[in-house]
Amino acid sequence: MIGGLFIYNHKGEVLISRVYRDDIGRNAVDAFRVNVIHARQQVRSPVTNIARTSFFHVKRSNIWLAAVTKQNVNAAMVFEFLYKMCDVMAAYFGKISEENIKNNFVLIYELLDEILDFGYPQNSETGALKTFITQQGIKSQHTKEEQSQITSQVTGQIGWRREGIKYRRNELFLDVLESVNLLMSPQGQVLSAHVSGRVVMKSYLSGMPECKFGMNDKIVIEKQGKGTADETGKSGKQSIAIDDCTFHQCVRLSKFDSERSISFIPPDGEFELMRYRTTKDIILPFRVIPLVREVGRTKLEVKVVIKSNFKPSLLAQKIEVRIPTPLNTSGVQVICMKGKAKYKASENAIVWKIKRMAGMKESQISAEIELLPTNDKKKWARPPISMNFEVPFAPSGLKVRYLKVFEPKLNYSDHDVIKWVRYIGRSGIYETRC
Amino acid sequence: MPYLGSEDIVKELKKALCNPHIQADRPRYRNVIQKVIRHMTQGVDVSSVFMEMVKASATVDIVQKKLVYLYMCTYAPLKPDLALLAINTLCKDCSDPNPMVRGLALRSMCSLRMPGVQEYIQQPILNGLRDKASYVRRVAVLGCAKMYNLHGDSEVDGALVNELYSLLRDQDPIVVVNCLRALEEILKQEGGVVINKPIAHHLLNRMPDLDQWGQAEVLGFLLRYQPRSEEELFAILNLLDSSLQSSSPAVVMAATKLFLILAKEFPHVQTDVLVRVKGPLLAACSSESRELCFAALCHVRRILRSLPGHFSSHYKKFFCSYSEPHYIKLQKVEVLCELVNDENVQQVLEELRDYCTDVSADLAQAAIFAIGGIARTYTDQCVQILTELLVLRQEHITSAVVQTFRNLVWLCPQCTEAICQALPGCEESIQDSEGKQALIWLLGVHGETIPNAPYVLEDFVENVKAETFPGVKMELLTALLRLFLSRPAECQDMLGRLLYYCIEEEKDMAIRDRGLFYYRLLLTGIDEVKQILCSPKSDPSLGLLEDQAERPVNSWASEFNTLVPMYSKACWAAISSLQVSEPRGPEPSGTGVLSPSGSLISENKAELQPLSDSGSFLLVPNGQLTAEQFEKTWLSLEVAHQEVLPWQGVAHPDTIQTALQMVNIQTIALSKAGVQPWKAYLSAQDGSGCVFLTELLLDPEHLQVRLSVKQSHVKAEALNSFISVLKTVIGTIVDIKS
Repeated sequence: MIGGLFIYNHKGEVLISRVYRDDIGRNAVDAFRVNVIHARQQVRSPVTNIARTSFFHVKRSNIWLAAVTKQNVNAAMVFEFLYKMCDVMAAYFGKISEENIKNNFVLIYELLDEILDFGYPQNSETGALKTFITQQGIKSQHTKEEQSQITSQVTGQIGWRREGIKYRRNELFLDVLESVNLLMSPQGQVLSAHVSGRVVMKSYLSGMPECKFGMNDKIVIEKQGKGTADETGKSGKQSIAIDDCTFHQCVRLSKFDSERSISFIPPDGEFELMRYRTTKDIILPFRVIPLVREVGRTKLEVKVVIKSNFKPSLLAQKIEVRIPTPLNTSGVQVICMKGKAKYKASENAIVWKIKRMAGMKESQISAEIELLPTNDKKKWARPPISMNFEVPFAPSGLKVRYLKVFEPKLNYSDHDVIKWVRYIGRSGIYETRC
Repeated sequence: MPYLGSEDIVKELKKALCNPHIQADRPRYRNVIQKVIRHMTQGVDVSSVFMEMVKASATVDIVQKKLVYLYMCTYAPLKPDLALLAINTLCKDCSDPNPMVRGLALRSMCSLRMPGVQEYIQQPILNGLRDKASYVRRVAVLGCAKMYNLHGDSEVDGALVNELYSLLRDQDPIVVVNCLRALEEILKQEGGVVINKPIAHHLLNRMPDLDQWGQAEVLGFLLRYQPRSEEELFAILNLLDSSLQSSSPAVVMAATKLFLILAKEFPHVQTDVLVRVKGPLLAACSSESRELCFAALCHVRRILRSLPGHFSSHYKKFFCSYSEPHYIKLQKVEVLCELVNDENVQQVLEELRDYCTDVSADLAQAAIFAIGGIARTYTDQCVQILTELLVLRQEHITSAVVQTFRNLVWLCPQCTEAICQALPGCEESIQDSEGKQALIWLLGVHGETIPNAPYVLEDFVENVKAETFPGVKMELLTALLRLFLSRPAECQDMLGRLLYYCIEEEKDMAIRDRGLFYYRLLLTGIDEVKQILCSPKSDPSLGLLEDQAERPVNSWASEFNTLVPMYSKACWAAISSLQVSEPRGPEPSGTGVLSPSGSLISENKAELQPLSDSGSFLLVPNGQLTAEQFEKTWLSLEVAHQEVLPWQGVAHPDTIQTALQMVNIQTIALSKAGVQPWKAYLSAQDGSGCVFLTELLLDPEHLQVRLSVKQSHVKAEALNSFISVLKTVIGTIVDIKS
């Protein structure tokens, strides 16, 4: 159980403090500030013990969220709860920043009241919470209908969807969001690479719709391939092997285990349908080729080539290459053909930004770094070159094959639902050693 | 943080709250109330506007109500008399037609922490338990726990407990979980909520309806249930199989723990489970949620301790990435060191070597120690890497390498030669105490093969006055004496100087005494010194350095998914020992039981283990009682247990006292040997604060000893454990005599 929840800004000022149990006193708020936020050295661990009280913290931009307890609790659950709390807050007011928290101060207290009681997590589904959080304020004069909604919402068979939802336009949005992670050796050998992906669904559907989701999972394709031998040659290549995947609570796992089909009744609004990880046959959108040459003791020549490795018709966006420079750099001259590059002394790096880049292209940057002579014997550690980007496809190769909607009680069919699918591949930790 | 001018602020707020114009203007009124809460959050004491806030609670504005209730829950303990005024409004709200208002009022009322509130909340809670809206029932169930917490000493209300047990069949999943939580707190003294077969099976059936928090918690409660038969056990494991694949790491971890504990007699099932969770754990280890990743890595280390090869084929997953936080990197280095095998050793070592030159000195040293750990199996490769690192002449690197060398020479003597060749030159770049000690030790023990050893030590002797670390001086004395034995000609002079310094000028008593001791030892003759200083090393101490014994899964299964793996060993021992000494009942074990036997205690007292055979029962040494206290307590208690044991011969007080001291039983009073009737009074205390008082009465005619035990808290299990310890001791004494 959680004894209290505190939110601080980067200076350690308390923005929100909510205590649930008697054993957590006011001094706990200060203890965390003094021992963790104001501590000189780096954060040693996300779990800190101060005077027999455990503080679990996560950081979102420069906001600290800390859960406090005196019990021997289950760490994974507390962290997961903190993430969930961030998600819920983000769903209400967007980015978690000091300004947003200050502006939505009342709302956060309302949320904290509902999602934790006596330190025990209660309902934390954003959709379901909307019934209890009254942003408009005066709402005591509830209509009969609304009241029955509250009652039915919690007595209904499924916890994640209330009955009687109606939309004039039945719409659903599917986002395949992937983050591709890479660690590459200077010789271009892949040391480790994996994609962690999420399928996020936003559903605006009436009634209690039954949905069925299909993708190019290798096991399913192979199973079907047996029937139509013709197709195996074509689709066999395009199928992907998923290492492991997990689903939202609404997915019937028994059906997935037996026939590997994904069927569910979705919650209303946005939710994460599935989370998966792949490690095989990843399309690496960019290749970084570094060349570092030390000319004497006071000069360094760096040349970095990036190659985009996807269909020429697609465009990658928000490309940023970060080339680290030694600490004793005195001056940098940069020449790049495309985009803008700048030496940022405060970050010890050359930051090269390109707005857009099509597939199968190549671009290069060369820089001359002048160094101050030092007598520091420490060798420069040569941090890796890191990259950020966004591409409009799924680097794992995942494709949505279909999403069918059945609602037997209401008179709309699968064809009437407007469906949108979008793929976004982002860089996670994408590093090339040099 | 209360800052200057907070009094003015409170005054202004009070004025604003009283202003009828503001009261009439709803948004403005609410704004003022918001300000009050804001100051409360920042730590300003705004309790003096309590009266005005109570007035503000009578409103139709729900948000305003929520804010006021939040305020009241914070300050009610300070202003109990004023808080009573609010009860009326709250009671009225408890019968509001809107379930949300009912729930809110009930929750707030139960959270008012003040004496006397119990009589007001009892009826609303009972009504709430039978409310038709599950939202109110959820609140009411936890309200029972709050009410009980408020008056911890009051009797447990049987009817209420029964009502809660029956609510376990409620159709709302959150009510069910809340019931378990509430019962656990209410029945804390009796060992928590009872999970019998029908309840266990009911919970298992409800699992799919629960959300992730509920599932994780129920899995924790199911740990209590012991299946009757093997079939039932496997049926349960089958039912819960899907939990292992849940999207929530908390559920996966809780399920893993349950599986490991339920299958404690089936090692192959345990191994299977660990194979099944490999995927989810690896996913967590490479996830972007860093804190979860840290938690997962801590658990991976536990698993590796029992199944060293478990993650070997996935070693690349544990390579550090530059931008990861420090704490994850350190954990990954530890993991890498434990999963090496013949196939990946080359890659892992190359990777670790890169970290050795990291800008962070901590990480660099951790990587060097990790290579040292691997060196126990792959000695040659590692020693070569470490030797190459010495060329860099970096303080922290050289120091860590030399420390690693010291341990290696000790554990793998075959590498001594290579290490001795690498040592010359190191002394120039070592500044810290640990590194110096290691170097001096190496020079002392293997000085005969290092040509310049005496000259290096001579430098240290010259600078001994400026040396700040006593440990270094101590090590220097021993090392120089050792080297003197193998190379007397080169060392005699400086040994003399060092001894002179230690005896005549050193202020640290320990070093002085050591110096005097060696001096006198030398006076007895060289052969004696050799015999004493160079006799074979003790073998058990090797085990301490190694600390790599494989541990069975069952040894850590009960700690899985608690805080124990998250803290370092030393840190946890400190936390748990403090908690043990607190005289409290057993910990409420929502998610994990703090076993009172911290692993450290049982390790230190390894020789006691056969005596106290039950792992969870341990007597703690701080049970000091004076004779008067003992007498008073003795007279006030009833005899809990009486038994007659066989006995032979005369009792020797010393033997008995020593034997009892071994198991932390204090002797309060004892008759002299041979006195008739011979009596002894003993006292002892266990981890939970329970005190045992014992009388031994010797009856020499019948060769018997009668023992009577009294106990401060009635705990049958602890009593039995104590008696079995005592009997073992008495049995041992009798054995020695006969």
